[in-house]
Amino acid sequence: MLHRLLKGIHWRIVSVAAGLVLIGVVAIYSASFRMGGGFAAKQATWTLIAVCAFFSAAWVGYRFFLNVSYLFYGLTIVLLVFVPLFGETYLGANRWISFGPFQLQPSELCKIATILILAQYLANRTALSEQKRSFFVTLALVAVPVGLILKQPDLGSALVFLPVLFAILFFWGFRIRYLVFLAMLGISMAPFLWHTLKPYQQKRLLVFFNPSVDPIGASYTAIQSKIAVGSGGLIGKGWLRGTQTQLDFVPEHHTDFIFSVIGEEFGFAGSIVIIALFGFLLLYVFEIMEHTTDLKARLLAIGIAAFLFFQVFVNIGMTIGLAPITGLTLPLVSYGGSSLVTTFFALGLLVSVYKERSIF
Amino acid sequence: MKLSSRLKILRYSMFGGLGLLVLALFHTQVIKGATYRRMSENNRIRLIRLEAPRGNIYDRSGMLLATNRPAYHVYVIPEDFNPSEIPLLSEVLKLSENDIRSHMSEVRHASFTPVLLKRDVSKEMAMRIEERRPKLGGVFIQVRPIRTYPEGELGAHVLGYIGKISRLEYEARDQSVYHLNSWIGRTGVESAYDRELRGEDGGRQLEVDARGVPIRMLQERKPRPGSDVYLSLDMKLQSKLRPILGSRRGAILLMDLKTGGLLSTLSTPGYDPNSFVTPSRNEERLELIGSRQRPLFDRGLNGLYPPGSVFKLVTAMTALETGLITRHTTFNCPGYFQLSSRSRKFQCWFDGGHGRVDLLTAIERSCNVYFYQVGRLVGPKLLASYARKLGFGSRAALEIPTAEGLVPDADWKERQHHELWFPGETISFAIGQSYLLVSPLQILRLIAAIATDGSVVEPRLLTSNGHPETVTGNVRSSAPPIGPETFRVLRQGMLRAVASDQGTAQLARVDFGKLAAKTGTAQAPPGDPHAWFGGFYPYEDPRIALVVFVERGRSGGITAAKIAKQVIQVYNELYVTSAA
Repeated sequence: MLHRLLKGIHWRIVSVAAGLVLIGVVAIYSASFRMGGGFAAKQATWTLIAVCAFFSAAWVGYRFFLNVSYLFYGLTIVLLVFVPLFGETYLGANRWISFGPFQLQPSELCKIATILILAQYLANRTALSEQKRSFFVTLALVAVPVGLILKQPDLGSALVFLPVLFAILFFWGFRIRYLVFLAMLGISMAPFLWHTLKPYQQKRLLVFFNPSVDPIGASYTAIQSKIAVGSGGLIGKGWLRGTQTQLDFVPEHHTDFIFSVIGEEFGFAGSIVIIALFGFLLLYVFEIMEHTTDLKARLLAIGIAAFLFFQVFVNIGMTIGLAPITGLTLPLVSYGGSSLVTTFFALGLLVSVYKERSIF
Repeated sequence: MKLSSRLKILRYSMFGGLGLLVLALFHTQVIKGATYRRMSENNRIRLIRLEAPRGNIYDRSGMLLATNRPAYHVYVIPEDFNPSEIPLLSEVLKLSENDIRSHMSEVRHASFTPVLLKRDVSKEMAMRIEERRPKLGGVFIQVRPIRTYPEGELGAHVLGYIGKISRLEYEARDQSVYHLNSWIGRTGVESAYDRELRGEDGGRQLEVDARGVPIRMLQERKPRPGSDVYLSLDMKLQSKLRPILGSRRGAILLMDLKTGGLLSTLSTPGYDPNSFVTPSRNEERLELIGSRQRPLFDRGLNGLYPPGSVFKLVTAMTALETGLITRHTTFNCPGYFQLSSRSRKFQCWFDGGHGRVDLLTAIERSCNVYFYQVGRLVGPKLLASYARKLGFGSRAALEIPTAEGLVPDADWKERQHHELWFPGETISFAIGQSYLLVSPLQILRLIAAIATDGSVVEPRLLTSNGHPETVTGNVRSSAPPIGPETFRVLRQGMLRAVASDQGTAQLARVDFGKLAAKTGTAQAPPGDPHAWFGGFYPYEDPRIALVVFVERGRSGGITAAKIAKQVIQVYNELYVTSAA
C-alpha cells in the first residue's frame, strides 16, 4: 500500500517544495515571534495537512479531478458567494470562511478549480475550428470568480487568474490576434474596474507610479519594505536580527511581506536561494509536461506554472518596488493554510501526471 | 511544431522574469545595500501625519456653531526620556507616575515614536514644561486643533459631537481615511457629514540622521482641509426660543415653508457638546450620559409619542379624500360614544357634549365623538395607509437620522401581539391614541403639507454654502396624493381653532396676524399627558410651520398653545418687525 503510494513520486519536486516550506517556517518564526500567536507552529501544522493533500492528489490522479472539475468549480463559486455572508472581516476585506479553528480562503481553492475546468474544457475542443466559442466560454469561466474575488475585495487573488487564463489560452493555440483583442479588452475595461476598487487599493496602485500620493500609508510600506530587503546586503543581518521587519515597519510581514524578512535577514544570498528553488520548481513542472502527451495534463501544468510564476514575481517584485502592492502571497513560503494546501494539491496533481508517464 | 514553440516562449518569459528579479535584487541588496543599511539603522524614516483641520459648521446667517481651537498637547519620545525624571514630570503634569509609565510602555517596540501624555493642557502648564525643558529630555509640546462648539448648548442635538475612534469602528472603516487616533463624528451632522467635514490628512516622510535630526524630506502631501457645512437653522431665533421652554422637557420645531429649511430644532433639556471634546470635562460627560432627564436625546427629531388630537387632521383627511364625509357632514356629540349599546363608553373631553357638529366645528373644538364616528367609517386599514402616505411610520428624508415611529394596523398587531384588532382600537386610533407613535418632526411634516397644499413636505437641514434660500435636495419630491380642497377645509378648521372663542388653540392667538393650528393632549399613562401644538403662520400666505411639544405638559390647549404664542411673537420680532 505504502509502496504503491510512494511509487513514481517525482522526488525532486517534493524536495524543492519542502525546502521552500522550511525556509518559510523559519522566516515566519522570525517575523512573528515577538507578537506571539505561534504562527510558525501553525504553519508547520498546515504543512502536514498540505502533505496529505499532496499525496491524495498524487494517488487519486489528476484525471479524476478533471472529471469532477465542473462540480469542483461550482462548489468553490458557491463558497465565494458565501464569503460576504459568513466570512470573517479582516482589515476591511472579507476573504475567509471559518470552520472551527481553520480558516478557509475560497479564492485559493477556486484558483485550482478554474485551472482544472479550463484544462478539461479546452482539451476537448480543437484549436483549429472552435476558437470563438471557446474564447467566450473560457472568458466567462474566469470572469465569474474574478468578479466575486474583486468584490471581497482581494485585488491580488483576482489578478492571478489573468496570467493563468493567458498562459492556458496561448498554449492551447489561441490565435495571437484574439489574445491581442483580449488584452485590449482588458485595457478598455480598466477605467471601469478602477472604480470598483476600494480607495486603499487605488492608493497602493497610484503609489507605485507616484510615491507622494500617500506618504504615510502605502508609500511608507513600499519604502520600508525596500529598505528592509536592501539593508540585508549580500549575506543579511542574520536570523531574528532583521530590525526593519521586527520593529513593525513593514506590515503583514509573516504573510504578504515574508520576502522582506528573508531579504533582510539572509541577504542577497538568501534571495538567490529562494529564486533558485522556485526556478527548479518551474523547471520540473516543464519537465513533467514534456513527459506526457495528454493535452489536459499539459494545459493543467501550464496553468499551475503560470500561477506559481506570477505570484513569485509579483510578491518578490512588490517588496523591492518592481510591482505594486496588491496583497499576493509567496507560494509555499508565506504564512497561510489555504495557500499552502492548494499549492501542494496542485503539485500533487502534477506528480500524478508524472506517475502516469509510463503508460505511454 | 507550433505548439512547442509557444511552450518555449512561455518558458523563456518565466525564466526571464526570474532573472529580472535576480538583477533587481542584486541592485537593491548589493549595489545599494549600504545605503539601505544606513537607512535601516535606528530607522531613519520618520512619519509625520499632518492632520487636516475639520470643517466648520455654520447656521443660516453665518454664525459659527462648530470649529477648532488650538490646544497644547504634551508628548514624549520614550527613547530620549530619562526615566529618573518621572517624578518631576508627574508633578508638572499632575499625572500619576503610573499613568506616565503605562503611556510610555504603549510603544515598547517603537520607543522613538512620540507618545501623547496629556491632551489640552493649560497655557500655564505648557509654559512650565517649556521652562523645565533641559531636564525633561524627549518631552515636547505640540499645538494641535481641538473641536469646540462656541454656542454650547444651542443646536447641540443637531450638530452632534465627535469622539475618538474605537478599535472596532476603525476596523470597519476605510483605513486610508481613518487611522487609529482619528476623531469621528458620533451623532448629528458631525456624524452624517463626517467624510465632508474631515477632509483628507496629509503627511511627511522625513529621513533623519542617527540623532533624529531631519536631513531631507522624502515625500510630502499637504492635508486637504475639511469642507464647511451650512445649516438652515437660525441660532439667533433658537437662542430666543430656549428660555420659553425653561426647565420643561420638550421641543420647538420651526420650518421655513418657502424652502423647507428647518429654522429651529430646539430640544430640551440640552447639553453642551464641548463636554465631549474637552478632556478636563470628562465627569460632566459621564453625568450627561447617565442623566435621567436624558439631555442627549433629541426629542424633536427622535422622540416618539402618541400624537393625540393633532392626529384628527389625518383622520379628517382620510375621510374627506375617500368621500366618506364632506365638510358639511354632521354627527351628534352627547359627550360620549358607544360602538353598541352594551359596549364601553368612549368619553368626549367635553363632558356636556358638543351637540350636533360639522367637520369645521369638530376641528375647532377638537370634538372626540365626531372623530370616533369618522374613525368607525374609515376603519383602521385606510387610516393607517393615509398616515403612512403622510410620512408617519417612516424616517423623514432629513440629512441626519430621525425616528421611524409606528403606525399600527391589524397585520402589525397580529405580528407583534398575536392578537386580533378590536373595533375599539379603531376608535382611539382615530384620535391619535392606541399604538400610534409619532415624532414632533413627523407632525411638522403633516402641518407643512397642509399649509402648502402638499407642495413642501420634506424638512431639510443643510443649505448650500451659506445661502439659506437654497436648501439642498428636492423638497417637492414626495407630495402626498391629496386634493387641494381637502387641505383647504383643514386649514379653515385650524384657523377656527385659534380664532374662535370656543377653539382649543385660542390661547395662541396673536394680534398681529392670523395663526392656524391644532392642539393635542395625548394620554400616555402612567403620568401626565403630553402637550402638542402644530400650526402654521400667517394663514393667508403661510411662511412657517411650527410644532411645540411638551413632554408631560398636561394640556395642548394651555401649556403648548401658550408657548406657541410666544414662539410666533419671537418669530415676528425677528423676521417681520425688524426686517420692515
